[in-house]
Amino acid sequence: METYQIEDLTFTYPLAAKPALDHINFYVSNGEFVTICGKSGCGKSTLLRHLKSILTPHGERKGEIFFNGADIVDIDQRTQTEKIGFVLQNPDNQIVTDKVWHELAFGLESLGYDNQTIRLRVAEMASFFGIQNWFMKNVTELSGGEKQLLNLASIMAMQPSVLILDEPTSQLDPIAAADFLYTVKKINRELGTTVILSEHRLEEVLPISDRVIVMEDGKLIVNETPQKAGEILKDMKHDMFLAMPSPMRIYAGLKNGLACPITVSDGRKWLNTLIGDKTVGKKPHAPTPQAPLRQIASKFSPEPPAICFKEVWYRYEKEQPDIIKGLSMEVAAGKLYCVVGGNGTGKTTTLLLVSGILTPYRGKVLLKGKDVAKMNGKEKFSHNLGVLPQNPQSLFVKKTVELDLHEMLDGSRLTKEEKAKEIERIVALCELDGLLEMHPYDLSGGEQQRAALAKVLLLNPQILLLDEPTKGLDGYFKIKLAGILKKLTDNGVTIMMVSHDIEFCASYADICAMFFDGNIVTENDPQTFFSGNTFYTTAANRMARQFFPDAVTTEEVIRQCSINS
Amino acid sequence: MDKDVFSSFHPLVNFVWFTTVLLFSMFFMHPVFLTISLTCSFVYSVVLNGKKAVRFNLLYLLPLLFFVALINPAFNHAGETILFYLKNGNPVTLESIIYGIAAAAMFIAVILWFSCYNAVMTSDKFIYLFGRVIPALSLILSMVLRFVPRYKAQIKIIANTQKCIGRDVASGNFFRRAHNGIRILSIMTTWALENAIETADSMKSRGYGLPGRTSFSIFRFDKRDKTALLFMVILIAIVLYGAAIGQNNIRFFPSIKMPVMNGSSILIYCAYFFLSLIPIIIDAAEEIKWKHIRSRI
Amino acid sequence: MQHQFLSDRKRLSRRTLVAALLIVLVIPLTILFGVYFLDDRKYYFISMLIIIYTMLPFVMVFEKRKPQARDLVIIAVLSAIAVAGRAAFFMVPQFKPVVAIVIIAGVCFGAEAGFLVGAMTGFVSNFFFGQGPWTPWQMFCFGIIGFIAGILFQKGILKKGKWPLCIFGGLATFFIYGGIIDLGSLLIFTSDFSWPALLATYVSGFWFNIVHAVATVFFLFILARPMIEKLDRIKIKYGLLEP
Repeated sequence: METYQIEDLTFTYPLAAKPALDHINFYVSNGEFVTICGKSGCGKSTLLRHLKSILTPHGERKGEIFFNGADIVDIDQRTQTEKIGFVLQNPDNQIVTDKVWHELAFGLESLGYDNQTIRLRVAEMASFFGIQNWFMKNVTELSGGEKQLLNLASIMAMQPSVLILDEPTSQLDPIAAADFLYTVKKINRELGTTVILSEHRLEEVLPISDRVIVMEDGKLIVNETPQKAGEILKDMKHDMFLAMPSPMRIYAGLKNGLACPITVSDGRKWLNTLIGDKTVGKKPHAPTPQAPLRQIASKFSPEPPAICFKEVWYRYEKEQPDIIKGLSMEVAAGKLYCVVGGNGTGKTTTLLLVSGILTPYRGKVLLKGKDVAKMNGKEKFSHNLGVLPQNPQSLFVKKTVELDLHEMLDGSRLTKEEKAKEIERIVALCELDGLLEMHPYDLSGGEQQRAALAKVLLLNPQILLLDEPTKGLDGYFKIKLAGILKKLTDNGVTIMMVSHDIEFCASYADICAMFFDGNIVTENDPQTFFSGNTFYTTAANRMARQFFPDAVTTEEVIRQCSINS
Repeated sequence: MDKDVFSSFHPLVNFVWFTTVLLFSMFFMHPVFLTISLTCSFVYSVVLNGKKAVRFNLLYLLPLLFFVALINPAFNHAGETILFYLKNGNPVTLESIIYGIAAAAMFIAVILWFSCYNAVMTSDKFIYLFGRVIPALSLILSMVLRFVPRYKAQIKIIANTQKCIGRDVASGNFFRRAHNGIRILSIMTTWALENAIETADSMKSRGYGLPGRTSFSIFRFDKRDKTALLFMVILIAIVLYGAAIGQNNIRFFPSIKMPVMNGSSILIYCAYFFLSLIPIIIDAAEEIKWKHIRSRI
Repeated sequence: MQHQFLSDRKRLSRRTLVAALLIVLVIPLTILFGVYFLDDRKYYFISMLIIIYTMLPFVMVFEKRKPQARDLVIIAVLSAIAVAGRAAFFMVPQFKPVVAIVIIAGVCFGAEAGFLVGAMTGFVSNFFFGQGPWTPWQMFCFGIIGFIAGILFQKGILKKGKWPLCIFGGLATFFIYGGIIDLGSLLIFTSDFSWPALLATYVSGFWFNIVHAVATVFFLFILARPMIEKLDRIKIKYGLLEP
C-alpha cells in the first residue's frame, strides 16, 4: 500500500511569478526510505511541507496528495499529528521546552494521553535511542547532534507511521550527522517506519536509501533507485552530480558500462573490475610519511607570515584543562589555510585567539609580525583582519541586504561615490546581484553566507578567518564560495579556515593542517596531507588509494584512471 | 543542595510548606515567632546553599537588618514612651524602635525563606503545579526558560561578531558603547523572532492546539509525601488556632502588650517551630539513616 | 495580532466582567478582612492581594481562549528578549531595556500581549535574579505598562512614532513603575502607611527612577523604530495579518 500518493501537485507562492512545485507526481510505499535531493531552492522543503497540512505554506495549490489512500485535506489534525512525524532543519529551533523529559512528552501531551501512557512511551523511546541518561537534563546541556536526536525521539514517541525529515543533518558535524542518519535507518529498518528525507550531503544518505528523487526548479527529474539515479544523471550530464557521493562522480567521469557504485567499498570493487588487471605491475601503496611540521619557514622569506602562533597556551578558566597546548604555526600570506579535525579539539578557539577575542595566557599570536594582544580594535579590524562567523545571521542588522552593506561603511571617510563603488565591487565579487532588495533572513543559507562575507569584505581585510563556511551549503554553493575565496587569495588575502568538510579542503586548500588535542599534528599541501592519512581522508582517496595513493580529489582520480585504462 | 532530601518530595508538599512558612513569617510578629522563623530560615538557607549563604547572610542581611530597624522610628512616631525628639520636632519612641527591630527581623526571615524557595522550588516544579490550572502560561514559562540561556549565548556570539568588525561594546565613549550594546540587542531580536517561526512550526507539527491537551509530570505522590503533608496540616492547624486566640501577635502601639503565656502557647510555639523545621528534620533523619546503613556494610 | 488579542468584543467583555466582579466584591472583602484581622501587616497584605487579583483576569481570559502556538511563541520570545536584555545590562543598575521592550510589545501585539509579556518578564527574570516579596509588584508594574501602551495605541492616543513612545515610556517608567514599586517596598518594610514616609521613599528613590526612566527613553529612542519594523515583518511572516 502507498503511504503517499502525490498526483499532479503544483504550488505557487503568493506574488510569485512561477510555481515552486510544478506538476509533481510520485508515490512512496509503506516502509520505504526515500531521499529527495536537489539544489537549494529547488522546492524540496516546499514539497515536504505539503506532506503535512499544518506545515503547508500559504499559496495556490493544485493537484492531490493522498495519505494512506485518503486525501490529506480530509484527514483531521489529530491523525496527522500522530501519524506524520516531521523533523525540521535546525536542531535548536525545534525544541520548545527547557527540560528533556518535557520535550519528549510534548507531542503526547497534545494528543491528550494520560500520564501512565506517556511515561511508558517516553521510557520506550528513550531506551530505543539510548538517551535515557539525558532524561532529567536541561536541553541547554545537549550538543547540536544530541538536540537533533532529541527532536527525532520526541516525534517518534508519538509512533508515527511516516517520518519526514527536512535537511536534518545540515547543521551537524559529520560524526553527529552519521550517528543521526544511522538512527533514522534503524527506525526505518526495525520499526518499519516510512522515511522521506531531504538532504544535500549525500555520501551517507544514498547508500541507505531505497529510492532517490531529484528535483530541479520545482520539477521532479529523477525518481529511481540510487544506482539507477546515478546512471541516469550521468547520461543527462546534470550538474546535480556535483552533490553525489564521490564514487558516483568518479563513475560518471569515466566511460564504462558497469553498474554505478554508491559506497566507497562498491567503488573499490568497481575500480578493481575497471582497471584492476592493467595495473598489476604497479607497486602496492605504502603510506607516504607525513612531513614533520615545517619550522619557521619565514626565516628565509623577507615578509613576516600573515598569522604566526608562538607556543600559545590557552584555557577558559584557571581550573579548567588547557584547550590549546603550546601551539606553534605559521600561515603564509596569500594562502588558503585549512584546519581540519574533530570536535572539541580547539579549532574554533584557535580562530578566536587569532582575532584577539581570546588572549593566550602564555605565548604570542602575531599578525604580520605584530602582537595581536597589543593591537587596538581599529588597528585589528580595519584593512587588516576580517572574521566570518559560523552563523552569518549574527551579522545582519538592517532590513535589506543593500542597507546592511551600506551600514558597514558608516563612519568611514570615503565619499558617497567611493562607497557606492566599493559596494558595487564587493557585490560583484560575492555574486549578490538581484539579492540586494531582499531581507537578509529571506535569503537561502548559501546566499546569507555570501551576504555576510560581503559585509566582512567591505572592511577590506588582508587576513580572513572563516569558521565552518561550508556548513549547510549544497555542492553548487560550495563551488561558488571556493571561487570567491580563490579570487581573494589571488589578490593577496590570507585565509584561515576551520572546517569539517574534508572534500572541500582537499579540493581548494593550499595548506591543510590537522588539529588534535590542542595542537597541530601535521600540515601539508592537501595532496600530501590526505594521501598520508588512512581514515581522515577524502572518499575519493579511500576508494582509489590501492591504485592511485596520491589522488585525493575525484577529478584527480578520474584523470589518473583515464590515463591508466 | 543535592543532599537536601526535602527537595525530592512532591512539589505540592514543597509548595504548601513554603507558602505557609512565608505567610506565617510575614504575619506573626510575636518575638518567639520571629525568633523561630529567623533561626529556622537561617539554618535551612545554610543547609541549602552552604558557605556562600553564611557569607551572604552576614555581609548583606545583617546591615540590612540594622537599616530597616533604624528607618522605622524615623517615620513612625506612634507609641507612648518617648525617648527623645528629632531635629524636626518629631518624637522617637521606644515602641517604634522595638517595632522597627521586629519588622527588620521579619523582613530578613522572609528574604531568607525566599532564598530557600529559590533553591528548592525549581521552575519545573512550578510548571508542574500550575500546568493544569494555567497550561498555556506554564508552557510559555517553560519556553522562556528555554529561550533565555539560548539568547544569552547568542548575545555573546553576536557581541564577538560585532567586535570582529570593529564594533566593540567595551570600547569607545558611553554613547558609542550603549549604541553598540543596543545594536546587539537589535540583531538578537531579529534572530530570535525569525528563528522562532520554526519553533511555532514544531509546536504545531506536534499537535499543539488540539483539544484535550494533558500535562505530563515526572513527579509521584508517595506515602512519604502523604505523611509529610499530614504532619504539616496538623501543625498548621495548631498555629492557626494560636492566631485565632491571639497568641501569635503582639500589640506595639500605643504601648507594647504581649498576649499572656500559658500552656497552650507553649504548644503553639512548638508547632510553629517543628513546622519551620520540617525540611531540616527530614534531612537530618535521612543523614542518620544513611550513617546507619553504611555502618552495617 | 490586534484582532487576535484584543478587538474581539466578547473577550473584552468577559475580562471586564471578571474585573468588575473583583472590584465590586473581592477587593472590598479583602480590605475588610485585612482591616479587621490583620492589624500591622494589613497594608502589605491588602496591597499584595489586590495586585494579584488584578492579574487574574488576564490569566483567565488568556487561558480560556486556548491561544495558538504562534501567540505563545511571540510572548515567550519577547519576554525572553526582555529577560536576556535585563541580564545583558547587569552592570548598570536601573539601566534596563525591559520597559521599552514591554511597551513595544503592547503597541505591536495589543494590550493583552503587552500585559503578558510584562508580567512574564517580571516573573521569569526573578528565576535568575531571585524571587522575593517584590515579585508580584514587578510583574504587575511591567504588565500594566504594557497593557496601557496597548490600550492607548488602540485608541489612537499613542502613535507608533519615536517621540510619542519615548514620552510615554519615560512617564510610565517614572510614575507607574517607580511609583508603584516604591509604594510596594515601603509597605514591605514598614507597618504603618503614612504620607511623610511615602514621600520620603519617593525622594530617596527619585534618582533611581530617573535613571530608569531615562534608560527607557533611551532604549525606546534607539530601539523603537527597528523593533517595530521587525515585529511588523514577523506579523506578516507568521500569517498574522492575513484576513
